[in-house]
Amino acid sequence: MLLFRSEEHVTRWAEERRTEVGATLTPQQGWKLATAWFEDRLSPDWRRRTPEEARTIFDGIGLTGPFWDPR
Amino acid sequence: MVATPGDASIVDRDVRLAVYRRFVEDARPPTPPEIAVELGVATLDVEASIRRLADGHVLVLAPGTPYVWMASPFSAIPTPFEVTVDERRYFANCIWDALGIPACLHTDAHIRTYCPDCSEPLSLDVREGELGSSAESVIHFAVPAAHWWDDIGST
Repeated sequence: MLLFRSEEHVTRWAEERRTEVGATLTPQQGWKLATAWFEDRLSPDWRRRTPEEARTIFDGIGLTGPFWDPR
Repeated sequence: MVATPGDASIVDRDVRLAVYRRFVEDARPPTPPEIAVELGVATLDVEASIRRLADGHVLVLAPGTPYVWMASPFSAIPTPFEVTVDERRYFANCIWDALGIPACLHTDAHIRTYCPDCSEPLSLDVREGELGSSAESVIHFAVPAAHWWDDIGST
């Protein structure tokens, strides 16, 4: 997961590497994803998210579709 | 609570917490002997625990070793994702993890990276639980969620 200046830079970077553009997020979406994913990481009771829990987090940030299907 | 031999789940929990504690305090993971001393258990038991945690995708080890490479969001090696919290400098595994450091520490942070296309320096700031509104950059996920652990180093 990388940070680019803009969508145009993502497209050019992918073309140069002959790879496909995956999914892009705004930094605000990224921050929401980071807080939902990592806010309890240092808790003694933390455990890995189940696929269902991951999907709920993604859905809550508007990250839907096959790309965000954790299975 | 200090782990006692024979209860793998408690050992694993305590080893995981010891790894994160050292990452937070010193921006590097502890070695298995350091964890063994801290928890009062045998180094072999710590190494077995670390391998269980790696098998469970809780930690990532340097290939062929019992040494921690990643305890997401923290990276044991320098990366292009530098996160400054107060006087401490951490390295994250990716931009999501870079944001994950202030998220898990519940603190302010300054994140520095660069655009992989043009090498322009980019930064993000987290203040009082909010991301700076001036951020106009774009986060790119190259790998679909179902395949993140196929090759976590590349993800």
